[in-house]
Amino acid sequence: MDKNKLRELARNNIVTIMFIILCVVCMTFSGYSGSYVLYELFGRLSRNMFIVLSLIIPIVAGMGINFAITTGAQAAQISCLLVLEWGISGIAGFALAALMTIPLSTLFGWLIGKLYNKMKGQEMIGGLVIGYFANGLYQLLFLFIFDNIIPIKNPNLTIKGSTGIANTMDLSREGGIAQALDKLWRLPFHQAVLVFAAVIAVILVVGYMKSHKKNGKKLGIQIAALAVVAVIAQLGPVKALFSMVNIPMVTFGLVALLCLFNVVIMRTKLGQQFRAVGQNGTVANASGINVNHVRIIAIIFSTVLAGWGQLIFVQNMGAFQTYGAHGQVGLYAGAAILVGGASVVRATNAQALIGCVLFHLMFILAPAAGKNLFGDAAIGEYFRVFLCYGVIAVALVMHAWSENVRKKKEK
Amino acid sequence: MSKLNVKKSQKIACVLLVIAAVICGCVGMYGMSSRSSEKGSRILSNMRLQAILDTAGTGAIDAYVAAAKTEATAKVREEGGGMTEIREATAKAEEEARTLAEKEGIGSVDLTEIDTLPLEDSLDVLAAAQKAYFDEEAAAQARYIEEHADEVVVESTEELATEAADASAEGGDMAAEGGDDMGSDMEMAEETVDLSGFEATEEMLALQEEVDKAYDGLCVEIKKVFPALTDDIMTALKSTITSTVAQSGDTFETQYDRALSLSGMNPGLTGTIMRQGKTLATTAVGLIILALAVLLYAPLVKKLGIPRLVIGLFYIVLCLMAFVYNLSLPGQISNTLVRLGMNGVLVLAMLPGIQCGISLNLGLPIGIIGGILGGLLCIEFGFSGWFGFLFAIVVGLAISAVTGCLYGMLLNRLKGSEMSVTTYVGFSIVSLMCIAWLVLPFKSKIMKWPLGNGLRTTIGLQTSYRHLLNDFLSFKIFGITIPTGLLLFFALCCLIVWLFMRSRTGIAMSAAGANPRFAAATGINVDKMRIVGTMISTMLGAVGIIVYAQSFGFIQLYQAPRQMGFLAASAILLGGATTSRARISHVVIGTFLFQGVLTLGMPVANAVVPQSTISEVFRIIISQGIILYALTKSGGDSRG
Repeated sequence: MDKNKLRELARNNIVTIMFIILCVVCMTFSGYSGSYVLYELFGRLSRNMFIVLSLIIPIVAGMGINFAITTGAQAAQISCLLVLEWGISGIAGFALAALMTIPLSTLFGWLIGKLYNKMKGQEMIGGLVIGYFANGLYQLLFLFIFDNIIPIKNPNLTIKGSTGIANTMDLSREGGIAQALDKLWRLPFHQAVLVFAAVIAVILVVGYMKSHKKNGKKLGIQIAALAVVAVIAQLGPVKALFSMVNIPMVTFGLVALLCLFNVVIMRTKLGQQFRAVGQNGTVANASGINVNHVRIIAIIFSTVLAGWGQLIFVQNMGAFQTYGAHGQVGLYAGAAILVGGASVVRATNAQALIGCVLFHLMFILAPAAGKNLFGDAAIGEYFRVFLCYGVIAVALVMHAWSENVRKKKEK
Repeated sequence: MSKLNVKKSQKIACVLLVIAAVICGCVGMYGMSSRSSEKGSRILSNMRLQAILDTAGTGAIDAYVAAAKTEATAKVREEGGGMTEIREATAKAEEEARTLAEKEGIGSVDLTEIDTLPLEDSLDVLAAAQKAYFDEEAAAQARYIEEHADEVVVESTEELATEAADASAEGGDMAAEGGDDMGSDMEMAEETVDLSGFEATEEMLALQEEVDKAYDGLCVEIKKVFPALTDDIMTALKSTITSTVAQSGDTFETQYDRALSLSGMNPGLTGTIMRQGKTLATTAVGLIILALAVLLYAPLVKKLGIPRLVIGLFYIVLCLMAFVYNLSLPGQISNTLVRLGMNGVLVLAMLPGIQCGISLNLGLPIGIIGGILGGLLCIEFGFSGWFGFLFAIVVGLAISAVTGCLYGMLLNRLKGSEMSVTTYVGFSIVSLMCIAWLVLPFKSKIMKWPLGNGLRTTIGLQTSYRHLLNDFLSFKIFGITIPTGLLLFFALCCLIVWLFMRSRTGIAMSAAGANPRFAAATGINVDKMRIVGTMISTMLGAVGIIVYAQSFGFIQLYQAPRQMGFLAASAILLGGATTSRARISHVVIGTFLFQGVLTLGMPVANAVVPQSTISEVFRIIISQGIILYALTKSGGDSRG
């Protein structure tokens, strides 16, 4: 019985297991030191986790991976441009950009939701095409409308000698919002672990007080585990390994908040409706849920969150490619969540986070490993692009396959 | 269409449009006719004269000032002053001379006060001489280009493969890496012959002498107006004045604009009408077409569907704009024909896929890779000409038959979600092949990077089969080059597919696609039919890319094939196909419209907004928009 369960678990998480093996292989051949990899990894996690988490709600609502989150990223970049134009710097600029992203993303999300409702069952390819289509509109906006019809006064933002917005948007100039969020509060890794452990412990205790069941044993185990993790982080060798890691507390705090939000919203009425619609649209409709409406709301949530995610990404990088930064957002986020063991119908916070870690480990290690193994960094480069597409393709194939098998069984 | 059902609002809009068209047309015709009339030509020549006299006047002032300066210098020197004093004195003298010149009106002249007739006459002589020279030059250059057509320099990005590698090598984040996703696919490399080796012919030199003579004649007349002018200054001003009078490739509009901006005169209403005459007349034609479209809206939408109607109207607008901006229409039509032929087969590849029930075959890159491998092997073995071309096709067909069969078997297990799966399977195979291009043991020097590993991003086909079909039996008619071989090949492919669709297997395949359950009930093996359709689609993709490459002149590797499935899909959808039904006519119409809009769009957009990528942006919007539209029409739940 136990053996069967293990086999079942392995089969369900085949992509994750393959990725872990790949990461280990790449790690051995890359020749990077552990502390460097961890430093790179935490840098990437801080800027990418938020976007990946924004994919969960549409998956639960049965619309698959929302590849149209690129439009959310575009909304963020539009707000970012305006904030730079107005010269509002630092955290105030960031907050304003985040505020402006909300109406823009809501509008985009609403339009996408409308379109998705017209192509039920084809949302994923639809989302991809919407992403491309929106990219065309975005270019039209940035090349011909801004700076021509809507004047842009900041000379650093426009192409010199021509019209349109410059290729690279530099946030680290004076009046920019580079690192606005990250530099608010940074801590070395071991202290950061203490802070997070304390916060989680408080939340757990509060949850215990409020819950009706008063499961004291569970609480005890959880708190003990937290304490163990906190102590391990203080040990010498561990401290040395993480010596280069410097945690931007607010950014990770926001990621934690989003995780909490994803959990909480699933317990509300709306969350139940997401789930009902995701499991079976017809049944949900019969039980009086306005399916189309719920689907639109799910997409709006996802788009707004993705917009914020892109803002976090952009402020961390300190600069972005005006015409390229949003292009692959959907692809990378989608691949990351699938690597963590999610499928196109089922996804959790944990899967998103694990996926994010594995996926970005691969991104850091593959070029170096490719260079050391084949003598050509480009091979590792193409290999990780291949993995992105390949992971999505495999996930889609497996899902479609199992769906067909299930249908046949029902017959 | 027994009786036209026209609403009242439609009628009113239609009448208003027609009235506007008539007004525009009348004014435009008047403007056009006044160009050749006495009054019209007077306006233009007056402006031109003013412009030239202004130029000459500035020259006259300069001459006057220079004279004053020399005088002042000489004076100071006589008095034994140093460099600083000389400088001061000249500055002072210059200032004085300028104010004096302005006061006395040395540099300016009123046209009404002088006798312009001799000036105008000599100006006309110069203009005629220049026109003759430019005509000869253009003809000579055309001849030169034809003679040197083999040494084509193509401006295409060679840096795709390295771009991605660079981005990460510099520690750039992943967002930068995929940046070449949209922009670089299928850009048309403009073929330009290097003109640096071009030398003036004898006829040109003779005409040039005549221009010089005419200019000297003009100088004599101008000197009568401005006595202060010296010969040196007239020589210095020569290029300015001659370029004011006429430029290479001049039309009425450009001449007018130039004269207007240089002279700063107020052209008056007649002048403006004259300038805009052509635009107005063209607008009138456009308005009448729009009025017709409004009147016949309902039947047109029913027959064509909204997207085709919109794009069709857009195409007509582009044609009219090309006319307004004086773009060479025959050249554009030849371009469109070439593109029709080169993309046609790829678009045709969509048809069996749609008919057999796998919907849009966005996994077309799988077939394309087969074709590319065929082409590469052809170069590797050093084959050329027809044999090389046929060899590439046969190899491509063989490879794509195998991959197509496997691909079809995969699709049979995924009924209902083919499109998203095929897209990503296609994408991942393209990126897998990127690694393959780096490691495959090809030896040919044409294909490998001179330094480092792997194959080039674009591989020239000069040595094998470039333009083989394009040049086969091609001829010129009314300035339009007809690529006979290319069009014949496309027609042949269409015929084969048409015959196949009418064969027993073809009909069974269509039935399997249209209604799988019914087909299965009548004893058709649905799964087998789907594999057949996928295989044919994939094989056509292989042939398509070989035809595309021979016309393009290059094989593109790495990321290039990724978006081709999308482009082919949007073309066939534009032709009127749906995600479940398609005909040959959809392929031809769709490819023609899509490529026509693209070919015309680029020069027109460049004429409106110089040096812009707006046509590229519109390509993205149109091609993705049409796919999106088709997806929304494909209805709620997928078939399955």
